[in-house]
Amino acid sequence: MENTLPKIVRKTSPYLRRPKASVTRMMRDVTIALLPVTIFAIYKFGMAAVVIIILSILAMAATEYIYYQIVDKVDGEKFKFKNKSFTLYNYSVVTSGLIYALTLPDNTPWFVVIIGASFGVFFGKLIFGGLGQNVFNPAALGRVFIVVSFGTMMSYDVDAVAGATALGVLNDNVFGSGVLENFKLMNLFTGMGIPGSIGEMSAILIILGGVYLALRTSFEVRIPLVYIGTVALLAASVAIYQGLGIWYPVFHVLSGGLLFGAVFMATDPITSPITKGGRIYFAFALGVLTFFIRLFGAYPEGVVFSILIMNMFVATFDYYKWTNQQITRKQKIIFLIVILVTIAITLVGVSYVG
Amino acid sequence: MIKRSRQVRDYKALDKTLPTLQFTTPIEVFIHLQNNRCKTYDLFVKEGDKVKLGEVIAMRHGGFFEQPVHSTVSGVVGKASRKFHRTGRKVDVIQITNDFHDTFHESVVDRPDALIKKLTQAEMVEIVKDKGLVGLGGSGFPTYIKLGTKEKIDTVVVNAVECEPYLSSDYRMILQNPGQILEGLKYIMQALGAKKGLIAIKSKKTPLSQILNQELKTRYSDMNVEVAMLGNHYPQGWEIEMFKWALGIEIPHGELPTKYGVVGFNVSTTYGIYNAIKHNLPVYERHFTVNGDAVKFPQNIRVRVGTSVKKLIEISDGYDETQKEVVVVLGGPMMGTSVVSDDVVVSKTTTSVLVFKNVEYKEEPCVRCGSCVYSCPVHIEPVQIMNAVKRNDKDAMKGLEAYKCIECGLCTYVCTSKIHVTDYVRKAKIKLG
Repeated sequence: MENTLPKIVRKTSPYLRRPKASVTRMMRDVTIALLPVTIFAIYKFGMAAVVIIILSILAMAATEYIYYQIVDKVDGEKFKFKNKSFTLYNYSVVTSGLIYALTLPDNTPWFVVIIGASFGVFFGKLIFGGLGQNVFNPAALGRVFIVVSFGTMMSYDVDAVAGATALGVLNDNVFGSGVLENFKLMNLFTGMGIPGSIGEMSAILIILGGVYLALRTSFEVRIPLVYIGTVALLAASVAIYQGLGIWYPVFHVLSGGLLFGAVFMATDPITSPITKGGRIYFAFALGVLTFFIRLFGAYPEGVVFSILIMNMFVATFDYYKWTNQQITRKQKIIFLIVILVTIAITLVGVSYVG
Repeated sequence: MIKRSRQVRDYKALDKTLPTLQFTTPIEVFIHLQNNRCKTYDLFVKEGDKVKLGEVIAMRHGGFFEQPVHSTVSGVVGKASRKFHRTGRKVDVIQITNDFHDTFHESVVDRPDALIKKLTQAEMVEIVKDKGLVGLGGSGFPTYIKLGTKEKIDTVVVNAVECEPYLSSDYRMILQNPGQILEGLKYIMQALGAKKGLIAIKSKKTPLSQILNQELKTRYSDMNVEVAMLGNHYPQGWEIEMFKWALGIEIPHGELPTKYGVVGFNVSTTYGIYNAIKHNLPVYERHFTVNGDAVKFPQNIRVRVGTSVKKLIEISDGYDETQKEVVVVLGGPMMGTSVVSDDVVVSKTTTSVLVFKNVEYKEEPCVRCGSCVYSCPVHIEPVQIMNAVKRNDKDAMKGLEAYKCIECGLCTYVCTSKIHVTDYVRKAKIKLG
């Protein structure tokens, strides 16, 4: 009789875990949210998009797989086909690969796609110790690497204006409303009839993905809201200062990679601060940097750059001497002052540019 | 998942509706002579002595107080031995064999209402002290110290929230003894000179509010007592959180609620105060939950203090035999203590025993989702404390205020990666000393 009794084991409290919460679910949700954008990319660019997406995911997965097999070998473990550190099982690498692929222009050469993907996942993630330890967003790092190294090989397939995307046109002629003739706001919203990276064009589909993620609480909804809001706010203040119409902030929000970057790249929890307040300030800084690069920088687009720059400061946001779980009154006042100062700096800068 | 999430699934549906089983005739009881607050004791009886129910058999000595120990059955004193306490440590116990007569001790006499009305605070404190009453919600803090506070108290709050999942012993107790609890609250209010009384319950538990309001309307219409329906989240039953929701008073870390004119009593303690003052009885019985997914018949049992938990699991049809390993928990599933053996006895402060299947959760790397930070009821950042513990950075642990942690277990519960964050924060607390 004694033998049939179960053995009593000792554990520490609590003994319950939240059902239906896992890293796999979170990463899978991001992949699902990316599906409409992916399908639209394939619909619009056909085989070119398919090749880029498959190559990106395969390159990232292969790099990670080989890396972990080498690590195991160095650690003296026996070769196992199924490596336990490999993050394909929790969709993490698929998500990174997909995000990276969708930020690329459709005529990116195949070897550039592979180099960027491998570089991004190796230097962005693996070298820091894998999932959860990375400082930089792997997708953003890979993307920036190929922009800097192979910029001339990738040009957008343009039908409207020769050799320029919507933001490219705006970069040349900062406050000209002429850009509207070629890029209708409605087209920017739906993604039809405009050039751009394969996944960044259709605002409506990206917002759809964002709404899905928000409903599943698989990302921090404050980051995209504050990020986009900041860009809109700064653009609106410039529009008022320069006497431009309402089209100007709307144009800034809808064009380029802002929506895609805000919804899918900036919200990567690993490379964003941990507190509610920290995330809001992080997103605000992203918005400011993006807008400054767009307006004053040499590159027409600043989303990926600003994400990488701010990734470096995540540890600073979380430093124990000033991190706070709650948003205090003092923080609110300082934040308000910072917003006002930022607007002032923007307008001073604009008076020089314009 | 990246959200402030304080909803904990409560698993109470079944045992809440079942009637409470009466198991008040154990063959033998074991009375704790030590507990987590009292290390030394004097024993007044020896083997073979006859004792009566409610008789003082020993005196526990704590750091700053003494606590009489009462017999919970009438019968013959047996051997002293060592058994596990609720806190997971082995302590000295004394066996008393039941003679099934339940002869009450001479000191157990009812006080007439007219006499009770004239009792002063000091007299009530003396009665409660003599009956060895402690916080029955699990804290074990001597009640007479709370009751004897010199601060001016405006509001007395009865904590009937019972926010831990699986537990429903308080629920059943209120359902069966609403009058006694209101009577007990009346005595407390009289002792402290408080004008207002509040009974805090979860808004989900409407039957309780109905039955208490019914009593208040009919028999206790002269009392200024309200039933406060609080939120359903965890840890609503934590005193500070309860005051915040029920009264809007925020009490900073390290300060006593009495300074702010409020004092909280657990509902079982209130019932104990009623028994002590009205019937001059110590706590000799309590409502006890046997629950969990590896026990065959989860239910509430009314037991004598000192009953063996093993026996209670047996009456609940025993363990689920398909399980190779189980976890036996005394207290709630979020904060309770896991014990290595079921050879435990029910003490005054033990509310429940839970038997769980042993589930090994697969830990994944932290993805910094921030759920623990968003959910923490004391507003600290568990994940950052975890990282500080991993790199043994004491300054960071202190700067992140790890000492504020109440070990409610919510950070582990909400964790996306199923990491045992609470354990790391505990380590930090130990390191900070």
